[in-house]
Amino acid sequence: MEVSFNYGMPGLRIQYFLGPVWAKTNEQLKKQIVEGNNPINGKPVMKELVESLTKPLTAEEKKMGELKRDMGPATYTGTADELQQLFLEKRYTDFMPVILPTEEKVAEMLKATSHDPDEQLGRMNPGSEAGETWTYTVKTAAINAVMAGAKPEYFPVILALGSTGSTAINVSDNGFAAAAVINGDIRDEIGLNYEEGAVGPYAHANTAIGRAWNLLSINGGNCGKVGTTYMGTVGNAQNALATIMAENEEMSPFQPLSVRRGFQKGENIVTLFSGWGVLSAANWKVNAWGPDMNYPQIAKDIYAQQSPGLFGTVLILSPPIADFIADDGYDTVEKFTEFVTGGSAGGGFGGFGGPGKKPAGKPAGEPAGKPAGKPAGKPAAKFGGFGMGGNFHVIVTGASNNNYWMAGGLMPGRSVNIDEWR
Amino acid sequence: MKRFIFAAGIAALCLGLFCSFPTMNDQVQAASTEKMTVLNPMGTPPAIQAKQMAPRLDTLDGKTIYFVNTGYIGTDRLMEVMSDWFKANYPKTNIVMARGSMTNIPPAVMAEIGEKADAAIVGLGH
Repeated sequence: MEVSFNYGMPGLRIQYFLGPVWAKTNEQLKKQIVEGNNPINGKPVMKELVESLTKPLTAEEKKMGELKRDMGPATYTGTADELQQLFLEKRYTDFMPVILPTEEKVAEMLKATSHDPDEQLGRMNPGSEAGETWTYTVKTAAINAVMAGAKPEYFPVILALGSTGSTAINVSDNGFAAAAVINGDIRDEIGLNYEEGAVGPYAHANTAIGRAWNLLSINGGNCGKVGTTYMGTVGNAQNALATIMAENEEMSPFQPLSVRRGFQKGENIVTLFSGWGVLSAANWKVNAWGPDMNYPQIAKDIYAQQSPGLFGTVLILSPPIADFIADDGYDTVEKFTEFVTGGSAGGGFGGFGGPGKKPAGKPAGEPAGKPAGKPAGKPAAKFGGFGMGGNFHVIVTGASNNNYWMAGGLMPGRSVNIDEWR
Repeated sequence: MKRFIFAAGIAALCLGLFCSFPTMNDQVQAASTEKMTVLNPMGTPPAIQAKQMAPRLDTLDGKTIYFVNTGYIGTDRLMEVMSDWFKANYPKTNIVMARGSMTNIPPAVMAEIGEKADAAIVGLGH
C-alpha cells in the first residue's frame, strides 16, 4: 500500500494471500492460495480478485489532487512522560526513551556545525526506490542527534553520515545491517572506543552516533517502519543500533582503511558499510583453536566459502591477529587481499579465491581505489559499492587481550570527510 | 572497632536516604507535571499527486487479462495455477502471460498492455 500511495494510487486494488510462493509446488499454490482466503479479511482470494477487476471504483478511489498526509505539528507540548509516550506512539523512537528535543538542546547541538540549520542535508529512502525518498535538513539531524543522547562534538560525524543519504535500517526482507568505520584524529577527540568491545555499544560516542543514525533514518528517511518501510523476514539484531567502529590505527600493522581509500592519514573520514552484518554463517572458522594458527589460510577459507556473495567478506581483525598476518609476510592489506582472493577482489561480486600465492609481485590493492574529485560545494563522498568496492575488506580494531576476530558480510559504500561538516 | 564504624556508616547512609527522600520525590513530581515544548523530528516527504485509476470492467466475458510476472521466484508457477482457475471458471476470458522485472515493466510490454489488454494483474510484490 505504501508503494501504491507513493505512486499516486492509494486505492490501488491489491490482492493479498498467504505467502510466500517461493519453493511451493503448483498443487501447494492451488490449495494454499488459489483456493485459499485473504489472510487479512478472510475472503476467498480468487472471488476477491475478480471483484477487484469488476467492482466499480468508489468515490474515494476516484479522488484526484494532492494526497495529503498528517506530518504533525512543528512542536509538541506536554509533560516529559506524555511526550515520551507520544514519541513512542508516533514511532519517532527506537522503542526506547529518548532525550526530548527541546529548542534549547537542539540549538546547542547546532553550535557544533557551521552549516545552516535549514540546509538540506540529505535525501533518504529505505534502501529501494520502491520506497519514498524523503529529505531532511541539518536541523532535522540535530533534533534526532539530541534524541539519541549525542554530545554536540559528535554532530559533525552524524551530519557526515546523514549527508550520504544511506539508511541505517534497510527495507530488505533479508534484514540488512549498517555499519560505519571512522578513521582519523577525531577518534580520540570525541572518545570513540577502538579497544575492548570496539564493535559493540561500549562507549558513549560509538553508541550515541549509531543511535542518531538509526533515529535519523527512522524520522528523516521514514525507514524502519515494520510492514511498510521495513520488511526483514526475521529481522537483524544489528538494526537495533547501527554499528560504529573506529579503527585501531595505532596498533594496526596496516595502513588505515581511509588511507587505502585515498585519503591522507589523520584525515577524519567515515566509511559506510552495509550487508548481512559483522558476523556470518562462515565465521565459525574464526573460532578455531590450536597451538599453531595459520590465520591467513583461515581467512582464505572463509572467503572461499562466503564469496562470491552479495556483500563479499569483511574481516574485523584485532591487532594481534593483524600482526600474525603481517608477520606471515602479508604486511599490507593489498598483499593479504591478493593471497585471500587470488587477485579477484576487485570485481564487485567477485569470484572464489584461486590458489594461494605467497605475498610477492604486484599487490591487488584495496579495491575501493582512489577517491573521485569533490563535487563543488558539497562534502567529499565517494561510492565504492557494487562493481567498485570489491568483495574482500579488512578493518583492524579492538584490543589485544586475546586472539579473537570476526568475519562478516559487509560491503563498503561511500567515504565522507567529517571535517566538512564542522 | 571496624564493625562499629561499618554499622555507623550504614546508619548514616540510611538516615541520608530517608532524609533526602521527600526532596527527591518532590523533584520527580515537579518534573513529571512541568510542561515542555519539543520539536517534531520528522523529515519531509515528497508531494504526491493522485493518479486516475482505470475504470473497472462490467464483465470478464470476452475480455483479455494480462498476467505480468515481475520475476520474483515462484510467480510463474502461481500465475500458471491462476490461469488454470480462470480457464475453469471464466472460460470466455482470454489470459495472456507477459514478463516484467522486479523494478519495471518494459515499455514494449506496457505498450502491448495498453493496446491489447482490458485489465492487467501484476505480481508478485517482493
